[in-house]
Amino acid sequence: MTFVGFAARNALRNKFRTALTVLGVAIAVVTFLLLRTAVASWTQAADFAARDRLVTRHKVTFIMSLPLRYVDAVRSEAPRLGIKGVTWASWFGGKDPAHDGEFFATMAVDAPTYFEEVPELVVAKDVLAAFKEDRSGAIVGDALAAKLGWKVGQRVTLESGIFPPEDPEKPWTFTVRGVYTATARNVDRSTFFFHWAYLNDGVAPVRKDQVGWLMSRVTDPARTADVGLAVDRLFDDKEIQTLSQDERAFNQSFLAGFSAVLGALDLVSVVILAIMMLVLGNTIAMGVRERTSEIATMRAIGFLPKHIALSVIGEACVLGAIGGGFGLAIAYPFIERGLGRFLEENMGAFFPYFRIPTPMAFAAFGLAIALAVLASILPARSAARMRVTEGLRRVA
Amino acid sequence: MTTNVDRTAEVLIRIRGVTKDYARGGEVVKVLEALDLDVNRGSFEALMGPSGSGKTTLLNLIAGLDSPTSGTIEIDGQRIDRMGEGALAKWRSNHVGFIFQSYNLMPVLTAVENVELPLLLTPVRASERRKRAETALRVVGLADRMSHYPRQLSGGQEQRVAIARAIVIDPVLLVADEPTGDLDRQSADDVLTLLDRLCKEMGKTILMVTHDPAAADRASLTHHLDKGRFRA
Ligand SMILES: Nc1ncnc2c1ncn2[C@@H]1O[C@H](COP(=O)(O)OP(=O)(O)OP(=O)(O)O)[C@@H](O)[C@H]1O
Ligand SMILES: [Mg+2]
Repeated sequence: MTFVGFAARNALRNKFRTALTVLGVAIAVVTFLLLRTAVASWTQAADFAARDRLVTRHKVTFIMSLPLRYVDAVRSEAPRLGIKGVTWASWFGGKDPAHDGEFFATMAVDAPTYFEEVPELVVAKDVLAAFKEDRSGAIVGDALAAKLGWKVGQRVTLESGIFPPEDPEKPWTFTVRGVYTATARNVDRSTFFFHWAYLNDGVAPVRKDQVGWLMSRVTDPARTADVGLAVDRLFDDKEIQTLSQDERAFNQSFLAGFSAVLGALDLVSVVILAIMMLVLGNTIAMGVRERTSEIATMRAIGFLPKHIALSVIGEACVLGAIGGGFGLAIAYPFIERGLGRFLEENMGAFFPYFRIPTPMAFAAFGLAIALAVLASILPARSAARMRVTEGLRRVA
Repeated sequence: MTTNVDRTAEVLIRIRGVTKDYARGGEVVKVLEALDLDVNRGSFEALMGPSGSGKTTLLNLIAGLDSPTSGTIEIDGQRIDRMGEGALAKWRSNHVGFIFQSYNLMPVLTAVENVELPLLLTPVRASERRKRAETALRVVGLADRMSHYPRQLSGGQEQRVAIARAIVIDPVLLVADEPTGDLDRQSADDVLTLLDRLCKEMGKTILMVTHDPAAADRASLTHHLDKGRFRA
């Protein structure tokens, strides 16, 4: 027998209470990981950014659009600016009335150039050709097509709050020409792309020849920021000024609206950890209280306050480790196979890759142990300070 | 387990003018008043008296669990009345074996592990610890109950495990506070016989608090406490 083994057995002596505590810690670990994974997944969506890509948008907000002629303005200066290609897109904000609850991104893009400039989207040659041929054609993410059961050649009608059709008798109708896949796992695979030209045909005259943003590929990625400044300078004295950012910064400004939510998730994560600590602290304190006469006996035999304190802390470590381990064992199947897959398929724009970041798993396990130790400090202190003669008077 | 049989009438415990006060709600309660006591090495002595007379308090002072308000306590030539908490703990682990009324075994440990417990404080190696614990259990007649948990033992057996735990460090002094208080007559007799043997065969000095005159009869000498003083 060893002192450590003794502490471990004390930790597990009350099976029912230990089980409840372990479950409590495990649930806290799962919830914590769920939140952290959501935050990480969200941030990752913003993080996928080609370093050589410059996004130019309206200086005030990305909701406002730019005149189409800005594309030509940039193109004509491209060699001087160090830009090797320009394309553009508009946020359509479409929704399929047949699948009311489904959210997916819809973008009107410049069909001849867009997929050339965004190489992380993989489209088969014949699909791309068919798409370019058909002014009302669309290319959709393979995940989206699989989920909504869309086949090649399928007619899809979308509604948009941003772009109501000019003629209510003529809704926005598209033909799916094929799917795209992605070269990286954190690229959303459920976006709906269609011809900007088709959009331009169908909007009111005042809204014609407007684009959401320009996307330029820079020859030297190290100079992206400088190129951005140079592009903005082109429009300094124009009526509409621009803001050019590398794609990462652009994505972040796009997600900025969610930063309050992210902040709330951070707060909830901390609250969950605090609850976990209370659960552990309560169990440990109860265990110590009902062992008063045993602890006094150990002290009588000659064990020192530090031995008692260490055994209580050791007990806490055991509980934390079992709870943390159990939590991880639940979290992986639950988050990665269950909920994660669901979110990837249904909310790919926000959670393109919903998997537990490995460092987070380590952190959660470590936190379970560290917080158990923290929670045991008070009970350990009171156990260590117990007066032996008084402890012995109390009959167990 | 070594035995140190020494039958010379040498004083092991020498108590002079020991007083113990407790402060209770601003009021000082004198629990023990100017006690003198000598206990010879190798004797088996009993301490009797009404409830609240201070028996446990005195036994705790002698066992080094508490310090007197005034007076001196010398055990085996060592003054323990002014030792600090750490020094007392170390002294106890080398010199005193404890036997309690309600046995106070660790429920999560088997009999042999309970007996091994005090040896965790010594530099003795694990295999040697186990051997010594087994020997002590054999001495108390529980060779066949080594891996039983306390809840699987009778009260008398539990108390014998506790006695094995008390003797495993080979202490000079055994203190027992009502060791038969929770036992039936037969088990109580077995325990008393065992204590008597430990005294006679292994030369242990035993100080036992008891309410039971039959138990006190087994001791060679009985001290009577009343309201914190010895009765003549
Ligand atoms: N920590 C303490 N604070 C205040 N009073 C105490 C304390 N410990 C003991 N006493 C008092 O000291 C007196 C003697 O107590 P003690 O336990 O020594 O009696 P006892 O002779 O062992 O009694 P019993 O036969 O019931 O076990 C009692 O009146 C008790 O209330
Ligand atoms: Mg008493």
